[in-house]
Amino acid sequence: MTRRSRRTYVAVAMCVAALGAIIALVVVLSQNIQYFRTVSEAVAHRQDTSQFRMAGAVVNGSIVSTRTGVDFRVTDGKATAAVVQHGDPPQLFKDGAPVVCEGHWGAGGKFVSDRILIKHGADYQPPAVKQPTATTR
Amino acid sequence: MKATLGIFALAVGASCAGVGIFVLVMGLVTHDERQLVVGRRFLFGVLAAAAVAAGAMEWALVTHDYSLKYVAENNARATPLLFTVSGLWAALEGSILLWALVLGGYLAFMAHRFRARAADPLVAWANVVGLTVALFFFALMLGPANPFRRLSTAPPDGRGPNALLQNHPLMAFHPPLLYMGLVGFTVPFAFAIGALVTGRFGEGWLEDTRRSTLFAWGCLSVGIILGAWWSYEVLGWGGFWAWDPVENAALLPWLTATAFLHSVIVQERRGMLRVWNLSLVLSTFCLTILATFLTRSGVLNSVHSFTTSGIGPWLLVFLAIVAAIGVGLIAWRGDRLRAPGRIDAPISRESAFLVNNLLFAGLAFVVLLGTVYPLLAEAFQGHQLSVGEPYFNRMATPLGIALLFFMAVAPALPWRATSAAVLRRRLLVPAYAGGATMLIAVALGTRSVTALLAFGLAAFAVAGVVRQFGAGVLARRRAEREQWTRVLPRTVASNPRLYGGLVVHLGVVCIALALASFGTFTAKRDVTLARGQSATVSGYRVTYLGSTNHKGSQDTTIKARVDVHHGGSDLGVYAPAIKIFPNTAEGIGTPSVRTGWLRDVYLTVVSSPNQRGPVTIGVRINAMVLWLWVGGGVIALGTAIALGPRLRRTIRRPVERVLPPPVEPQPSEEPEAVPV
Repeated sequence: MTRRSRRTYVAVAMCVAALGAIIALVVVLSQNIQYFRTVSEAVAHRQDTSQFRMAGAVVNGSIVSTRTGVDFRVTDGKATAAVVQHGDPPQLFKDGAPVVCEGHWGAGGKFVSDRILIKHGADYQPPAVKQPTATTR
Repeated sequence: MKATLGIFALAVGASCAGVGIFVLVMGLVTHDERQLVVGRRFLFGVLAAAAVAAGAMEWALVTHDYSLKYVAENNARATPLLFTVSGLWAALEGSILLWALVLGGYLAFMAHRFRARAADPLVAWANVVGLTVALFFFALMLGPANPFRRLSTAPPDGRGPNALLQNHPLMAFHPPLLYMGLVGFTVPFAFAIGALVTGRFGEGWLEDTRRSTLFAWGCLSVGIILGAWWSYEVLGWGGFWAWDPVENAALLPWLTATAFLHSVIVQERRGMLRVWNLSLVLSTFCLTILATFLTRSGVLNSVHSFTTSGIGPWLLVFLAIVAAIGVGLIAWRGDRLRAPGRIDAPISRESAFLVNNLLFAGLAFVVLLGTVYPLLAEAFQGHQLSVGEPYFNRMATPLGIALLFFMAVAPALPWRATSAAVLRRRLLVPAYAGGATMLIAVALGTRSVTALLAFGLAAFAVAGVVRQFGAGVLARRRAEREQWTRVLPRTVASNPRLYGGLVVHLGVVCIALALASFGTFTAKRDVTLARGQSATVSGYRVTYLGSTNHKGSQDTTIKARVDVHHGGSDLGVYAPAIKIFPNTAEGIGTPSVRTGWLRDVYLTVVSSPNQRGPVTIGVRINAMVLWLWVGGGVIALGTAIALGPRLRRTIRRPVERVLPPPVEPQPSEEPEAVPV
């Protein structure tokens, strides 16, 4: 093989490898995107059954412990959604707590959540319900 | 008074930088060497000014001077001294001040190290670049990130630092080390720009900045590991790395800098990859600025919140200018950057380095994309979204395995070309070791392909390093007839860069082992227990003994007492806790960790016990996490070795000879042991 044709092969192989890597990147990225919605935005996208994060505050007196976790409602002041949580809620889950629920819309118009994050206030002020974004694990 | 002193120092620092730039540029334009020599002195001025400003801030912190806004927000009378001092880097303004102080340190080091070459245009341009970066940070502090803002009325007590930051002494060491790493890349960046401007992009600037780059890289590595350790010991979610943007921000420059440390060797040996090296230095520096932007501008919470600090646009504009100048200079010099050498064979040291670099660059791109994608999506589409951890894990794992493979193989490959015989001699034993390890792991029940590959390659790499050390030591012993106790340190000193690098590789192996085991063998379960009840998680029996409430001055701590048994032996009582601050919804869990060589028992309070009720305890049996921290230590050791001076010749025992031999025989080394 001449030097020139070998270089062509190498170049083609590298292009193919790069293309494959980019496709893998885009596919894996698109599979792992989670939208972040407030309760009212989430309610507006009820037909969407993909996984996303929903932010709101726990409605006072709505927490009911179940065998598999807790049921409760969250609100952002404009809309309210019922949440079915599978698994234990985090340490400071209580009435009024600002939460981010990770899950999807399930049967009966209820949000099926498998993880609750309590909003992490950067400066420890009483948190605003509006747009909790940063989260603790 | 302290505020006045601080502002004054900042103003002096900014003027020093500004006047220094002016003098140096004038000197460069008029070819006046005296001005270049005078201009160099301003680098010391920057350090002095930053030190006085930081000193004023520390003074205010230690004396609890709440007339300063920063002190009132990040200190309280009850704050312990360690966290009072570390209050300097507890928030945005102070950490920019720390950044300026560290930068001043590096600039002063540069000025001192190259004092004999102050009139050299390359050094003078590097000084100009360093001063420009310093000027930018002083301007930040005089503008949007002023740490010395005053309050009209001083409150009687301050708010205290963020509770997470005063929970563990590691917080006092992790940020300064990280900054010493990030800021240190200013030195190679300054010299790279100097090389481009002067057109002297041979190998000189690489040799000049080798130690600075390596030192910064070591600090950054250890800083990242300490950050992971802090996360593991304090945050209580059981892991140490979550691909959080703040973590990624520090990892990104580390990846490009690691690539640079390797590709530099190719340029030094073969004169290749010049453009690539300049690009890596440039991107490393840009990524450190991006790191500051990501972690310090508030942009991560939301694009919309980044106006709150006002520093974001400044950093973005600076980043854009740096990138534009760098790319422009490389394009301008493009025709003269052609490499004199080329890669001769596909299986050679240089092509292994090339692949290693592509992998590191690919990994950096993957991490960068995942980190900034949410920002781009919000800025351009208005959607708030997050990129899940599985993206990072799935993309990084194959790249990491490939990097591990090249790390194991590359040091054994000769430069230019190789023969099957050489490969067999150097790689057969390590390959057997790797294969045997994989077989043993399968026999012991490991089924995860990733873990098997990681274990096999780890053994391969360790065997390779041991073989290389052994070959070096034996060759030296044969040639020099030294005692066994002295031959190892002398072998290392004969080529600290090679052997230090190999030690760093051992540290990386430790970390790879820890990551693979942690991902494969960790068991976790949340158990809800009434007092006196127990549960068993993968062989560990945990019994809830009861809980205590402790009211402190600022918080209430609830401690659960948990007894842990394993196999018939009592491992003692552990006390995971949760701290609740009265005026916040936030509680901070403090995990209780029993550290072991192979397994950690990691206990957290998941939901707090209400009066006599049951408690939910998170039990995690984490595999081999200790090896992450061990790996960090080994990396630090390897870096220290590589920074050491090279022993050029051995000092021989005085031998009485009438005539000294005309030519001192060179210490013979195994051919592969010559500089990597």
